[in-house]
Amino acid sequence: MLSIRDFVQTLVLLNLGGLAVFFGIMLFVAKGRRNIVLALRSLWLHKLRSFLSVLGIIVGTAAVIALMAFGEGSMQDALEDIKRQGATNVIVRSVKPPDNSTSQKRTFVVAYGLTRQDHERFLTINSVVQSVPMRIFPQEVRRLHRMVLGRVVGTTADYQKVNKIDIAKGRFLLDADNYEDEGADNYMRNVAVLGSDIAHQLFPFEDPVGQTVVLQSQHYVVVGVLADRMPTGGSGGSQAAEDFNKDVYIPLRTCWARYGSRIFVRQSGSRSAEQVELHQVTLTISDMDKVRGAGDAIRDQLEQNHAKQDWAVTVPLDRLEEAERAKNRYTLLLVLIASISLMVGGIGIMNIMLATVTERTREIGIRRALGAKRKDITLQFLLEAMVQTAGGGLLGLGLGLTAVYGIPWAYTQFTDKTLPAQIVQMSIFLALAVAVDVGILFGWYPARRASRLDPIEALRHE
Amino acid sequence: MAAVAKVIDLVKNYYLEAVVVRALRGVTLTVNQGDFVALMGPSGSGKSTLLNLLGCLDRPTSGQYFLGDQDVSEMDDDHLSEIRSRYLGFVFQSYNLLPQYTVVENIEVPLVYQGGRLDESTRAHCIRMAELVGLGERLDHRPMQLSGGQQQRVAIARALVNSPHVILADEPTGNLDSKTSDEIMVLLTRLNQQGKTIIMVTHENDIAAWARRVVHMRDGHIESEQKNPPRPLPELKGSLAVAIGDWPELKRL
Repeated sequence: MLSIRDFVQTLVLLNLGGLAVFFGIMLFVAKGRRNIVLALRSLWLHKLRSFLSVLGIIVGTAAVIALMAFGEGSMQDALEDIKRQGATNVIVRSVKPPDNSTSQKRTFVVAYGLTRQDHERFLTINSVVQSVPMRIFPQEVRRLHRMVLGRVVGTTADYQKVNKIDIAKGRFLLDADNYEDEGADNYMRNVAVLGSDIAHQLFPFEDPVGQTVVLQSQHYVVVGVLADRMPTGGSGGSQAAEDFNKDVYIPLRTCWARYGSRIFVRQSGSRSAEQVELHQVTLTISDMDKVRGAGDAIRDQLEQNHAKQDWAVTVPLDRLEEAERAKNRYTLLLVLIASISLMVGGIGIMNIMLATVTERTREIGIRRALGAKRKDITLQFLLEAMVQTAGGGLLGLGLGLTAVYGIPWAYTQFTDKTLPAQIVQMSIFLALAVAVDVGILFGWYPARRASRLDPIEALRHE
Repeated sequence: MAAVAKVIDLVKNYYLEAVVVRALRGVTLTVNQGDFVALMGPSGSGKSTLLNLLGCLDRPTSGQYFLGDQDVSEMDDDHLSEIRSRYLGFVFQSYNLLPQYTVVENIEVPLVYQGGRLDESTRAHCIRMAELVGLGERLDHRPMQLSGGQQQRVAIARALVNSPHVILADEPTGNLDSKTSDEIMVLLTRLNQQGKTIIMVTHENDIAAWARRVVHMRDGHIESEQKNPPRPLPELKGSLAVAIGDWPELKRL
């Protein structure tokens, strides 16, 4: 289906193409070239006036290009952020339900969240191509006398793909680490991959790979260390910033086996326990188009199987589309402002053209007497308006590009921050085409009026 | 002698808000090949209206106008423009050169509207026209840099450039002193001697005396007509004299 955006783009391109062909022919044919030169000379005769009368066009064109570039730049920034989360991902998290148990039986252990059955059910959805279950909780990590508070993540090998994790030394978890068959020699392997911070603190001068760390009295062999990584920005309110450098990754199956279903957390003196099988499942969907459907299916499943609202589904694509809608609204607003400004510019052109026609009435009379047809006169003045606004459009383009490159530069110089700007190709085409169109639109009436002058009256005009 | 321009019972009314101004009330006139006609008369006599009609700048209310063998009285605006650019040359009282153009470019203007292309040969032709009127040294001057007489000579060169059937001159010496007027009139007379048909409006008797035929008009009618004997041309000085001195070699302009 042809969207409005495509339609407008096609229209603008056709328009610009037409104008390009027109000017191309004019420049190719000797007569046309001559006419353009003459138009330029007439304009050059009143340099200041010509410049002032296209000022509106110049500012309008520059405004379109610059504003669209800044708008696009900041949008791209936001979209980039969302895409980093994965546009084809659906993130399902366990949420601790609001504590309304004061009057009821007080339980020390709160049980909530996603279960293994939930995870199995997610995998029955056709479009799910990859799933990463996670169990995440804070935990002390010890080695000899050193102890660091880290974050244990029980997960599978696919975690690396989903979060785009780089390994500095050794390897990440393997599928084999999650080997299922009881009795196999790698069943419930105690292996761990350390985040760079933890590795650095526990093994200051040693290679951690092959050494062991202790998690809750269990020894784990360190098989890999992550490369240092900037914490991701917490995008949106729903997700906290993730600092991967303090993570300890262990196989999910091992996690279940060693910790059981209940996790005791000791944090700054207070103890709490929770019973959560999975804290988060990140599902990758085969196709962008299917993400929304998969999200709905997952919600349905969870609603049926959970009595409490102890889960949350986040679809980054939703936010992507929301951001794109916002961008489109913004673009529309810009186009509106720009068209008003170009309209005002056009009125300026018309005003000056009418004055010019009056001032050059005698010239029109002379040309008519010497054999100029009405259409020759129309063309002459129309061409003058078009050359004028095309020139204005080009000047505006220059001004706009200067603004797009200059303002972020100045901003960085003075504030130490960056101002993202991304030139939208379409805006250049749009601005140029519309500038010349304004010339045609507002030059038409004065040109026609010039051609309708009575030659005798015009010759007599002082 | 073949008739170049022939008007039959030409009537022109101007319809103002409440009144009808009857500028021409039935004028019949034949201008032959090689004629030099002066239209005279007081203001309001219709001589300018007649010149405008002869110049195809206006259409008559009734009557017929044959230019060569074409009836131009019923033609539409585009057609009249075509006729003007092919068969007519204009010389005005106030020269009416385009101030932003040089001498050569001014002379070129009628060729622009003939639809042909401008190239080296048309440029050479225009330069030759400038040379004919003694302005070969001032091709790149602008009108503002020329004297009144020189400007009028540029206008005459421009009127010649399309080899017109008829040259129409509206008070060609009206803005000039008597010496310069003589120059212009000698130039026009020499053109006439070369076979150019000239119709000129004037209200000065000594200017009309240069023409071969003088037509007196009054109240939209032709009142009388007289023929002037040929008169000797006065001696000229300057570039125009040099230019005109070479003329006898020219056959047709």
